[in-house]
Amino acid sequence: MSLRRQGTTLFAAILAFASAAVVLQLWLLTVSLEALLSGAYKTLIPASAGSTVLLLVNAGLLRYVFRFDRDAQGE
Amino acid sequence: MNIQNEEEGCTGCKAANPPKWRQDFPIEWEGDHYVSRREMVKFLTLGSLLLAAANWATVLASKLLHRGSRAERNIGPVSSFEKNGSMLFRYPTESDPCIAVRTPEGKLVAYSQVCTHLSCAVVYDKTENGLFCPCHHGLFNLAGQPIAGPPTRPLPRVQLEQRGDQLFAVGLEVS
Repeated sequence: MSLRRQGTTLFAAILAFASAAVVLQLWLLTVSLEALLSGAYKTLIPASAGSTVLLLVNAGLLRYVFRFDRDAQGE
Repeated sequence: MNIQNEEEGCTGCKAANPPKWRQDFPIEWEGDHYVSRREMVKFLTLGSLLLAAANWATVLASKLLHRGSRAERNIGPVSSFEKNGSMLFRYPTESDPCIAVRTPEGKLVAYSQVCTHLSCAVVYDKTENGLFCPCHHGLFNLAGQPIAGPPTRPLPRVQLEQRGDQLFAVGLEVS
């Protein structure tokens, strides 16, 4: 199986991960907004930290995609 | 028809002499999916960045809102409070109603008057020894905790400080 063909399957999995992370981030944002409006500020920093961790996961996946793409072009 | 012939015809001449449409659009289906998925990951990461930024913006907004709640305000003389009595005041701004209560034990406590259920004004109920919300019969004890009715979150507590005979509100604590 060529690297490019493997990539198609791999990218589907990466897309699923990235989409799940974005949905989680959306949920965290709604929780934060609700906490902000109700004055429960203690929730805000953990929610933001969680969102940042998910961003880093997504950025890592994107970096992997770029690397994979570069390797596929070199094949 | 021409295209079909060229595709099904000799494979050797296909590589050497690709059809015109292939020259104009030289991307395979597989390659097309590959590129669009890569673009999608980029798009999702950008969305992820914006969502994380929005989350940190809420933290920043809370700091700005919290700054206003650190103001001090004179509520009045301590001697004006009877035992089991209450007094209404505004803190931290003129649009934030609060209630101060002297408990049967003689301790002074103060809370936001805004019910955490649907924002009606709570009042001191001597018989229940708690803060009662007349809209939906919610009840908070004098520690600010909901004990009956629909409210589930405690009332924000106003921090009090006694200076001589004067009582000051010095902060708002939300749990």
